[in-house]
Amino acid sequence: MTSRETLALAAVALPALTALVVAVAPRRAVQPAAIAGLVLSGGVAIALALVALADPAGLEVNGWVVIDAAAGLMVGVTGLVGLASALVSPAYLETAASGLFGDRHGTRAYYAALAAFVAVLTAVPLAGNLGAAWLLVEATTAASAILVGFSGKPRALEAGWKYLLLTSLGLGFSLLGIVLLASATPGSSLDALSWRSLSADVPAGEATLVGFLLIVVGLAAKIGWAPVHNWLPDAHSEAPPPVSALLSAALLPSVLLVAWRVERALEPAIGESTGRSVLIGFGLVSLAVAIPFLWRPLAWKRLLAYSSLEHMGVIALGIGFATPLALAGVAVHIVGHAVAKALGFYAATPLLGHEPRAAGHAVTGIARTQPGLGATMGISLGALAGLPPSPLFLSEILVIAGGFEAGREWAAAGTAVLLALGFVGLAHALVETTGGRPHRRDRSVAPGLRPVVALGGAATVILLALAAAAFWLPDTDIVEALARGVG
Amino acid sequence: MSGTLAWALVALGLAVVVVRRRSVAVGLVTAQALLLTGVAAAEAEGADDVAAATALGVRGVALAALFLAIVARTREPRPVRAGVAPFARAGLAILLALAFVWLVPPVGLESEQAERAMLTLVAFGAAVVATRRATLHQLLGIVMVENGLVLGAIELPGGASLAIELGVALDLTLIALVAVVFHERIFAEFGSGDTAVLESLRD
Repeated sequence: MTSRETLALAAVALPALTALVVAVAPRRAVQPAAIAGLVLSGGVAIALALVALADPAGLEVNGWVVIDAAAGLMVGVTGLVGLASALVSPAYLETAASGLFGDRHGTRAYYAALAAFVAVLTAVPLAGNLGAAWLLVEATTAASAILVGFSGKPRALEAGWKYLLLTSLGLGFSLLGIVLLASATPGSSLDALSWRSLSADVPAGEATLVGFLLIVVGLAAKIGWAPVHNWLPDAHSEAPPPVSALLSAALLPSVLLVAWRVERALEPAIGESTGRSVLIGFGLVSLAVAIPFLWRPLAWKRLLAYSSLEHMGVIALGIGFATPLALAGVAVHIVGHAVAKALGFYAATPLLGHEPRAAGHAVTGIARTQPGLGATMGISLGALAGLPPSPLFLSEILVIAGGFEAGREWAAAGTAVLLALGFVGLAHALVETTGGRPHRRDRSVAPGLRPVVALGGAATVILLALAAAAFWLPDTDIVEALARGVG
Repeated sequence: MSGTLAWALVALGLAVVVVRRRSVAVGLVTAQALLLTGVAAAEAEGADDVAAATALGVRGVALAALFLAIVARTREPRPVRAGVAPFARAGLAILLALAFVWLVPPVGLESEQAERAMLTLVAFGAAVVATRRATLHQLLGIVMVENGLVLGAIELPGGASLAIELGVALDLTLIALVAVVFHERIFAEFGSGDTAVLESLRD
């Protein structure tokens, strides 16, 4: 077993083991065991990402597992956000009760589901074939739906139920697409659905094209691409903040990676232009649907949720343009979005402690009464808006430039216009949220603020480093490896 | 697969679309799963196929037991009304099925009837999710979609991978378990498993 395979196995097994330990541990040991397990898992996942990105040409691929630069990037993001979510969870649990599991079992159920979710989520980018990837994506639904409805409040139940039903139905359509592909592919073993076999063996034809469309539309329901995004704002806004961070920063791009792998694998059969146009179409529609909501005064977590819709659109456009510039933009965007979005969701715990009406209303003037919290929210929203020197500003420039480089001038120009509109909406929200007229003038330290401010400092360093990296990334082997895929 | 079996699966699916009582719908979806188990067992060519058929049967019976237990635990004062009348539901479901059969090109399953039955069951399942308000009915719609896909997997030339079939059965069972947790909580909160009460999240 190579070092990459060992790390990949450990990155998936450690959180899975943590879930099992948490399920049976004595009550007092649940939280320490969960945090220790998830911190260790996060460390291993980041190590795997560093190994994969340090030698992007060193690809590991077989019928079950693929460890390439893209998988390394996503596993690293999941590890980082999983680790941070574990660290801020105690502050959330101190302020929240579980209506779904009751006070007695709430903490245990929360950590067991969180660790199981991280385990499955880590495995998704590593799946070496379409069948396994589908099973893992479906498995993320079960673990995360429990977490979305954790509070047991009516709104959380509604969000969790919608999420469970719509994503399961969407994935049902994806499975129908897989059946269509399998029927068109010679051989019935699991190997026939491996990324390389799909690329080499699936014949061109109507059935393959319909199969591709069904798979991507079904996955779109899970990624939250418009117009099949209805569950996304509800689930992201009603889930516990550490879970919202994982949903937005890690789940959506992980499933998006599966959609990208499908498109890449089927390009020889459906045509390069067709596959990429579908992704670009989803990207533009997602941006266009998100923008009006970014202009409205929304509750903090709901604003972040609609921003997820926008950013998944940007990533779709980047992989659809598929030039080195665009792919460099995608890599920066995935990491930058994850860091900024997770920080924004983590800030929701002290925000709701300070101002409970923030659960359903837009908040204003937080920096005037809670400077630490206001600064954290400002860093998150400024980065997500693409305010320089945010790495998302640079990644969006790279994606747009990549669109022109790909000869898709109209799509690139449309992206630029929509992103400019989105920037105006989020910049306005940034000014109002931090510097507007405060509703509440309580200056006492909000509960759960300290770990969030500490993470805010770390996030700022990562975002600035990422912005610097964006300048040299387009010419590196990492982008070349992303462009090559598993082929 | 014979035309009679395919029609039987479709008829059971259409009955799920129109019936009002949850327990009857559970019985119909279970009958569908057991019929599929019979087809899978009859067409089994090796140990893998037998294992897949067994898993399918176990999944069908386990889900039936789970759903009937939940029906007993959460008695509705009267059946939850659907948002759409039964004939309209049936009409919508049939239209959707015809559209699927028309849009999806021949895919090369072992029989043409199986192809059409697969697409019809997927369409009927989607119609149930879209037109029913009771949580359990919506969940049964998802199960029916999966039943249709199981039929497709059984009728794939050369059969499907055992690992994938077992994985799909496990995933569906997990999803059903989570959905049941939600159903119970929704019932405890609102006194009914009617999703019409879940309409507070709007922008």
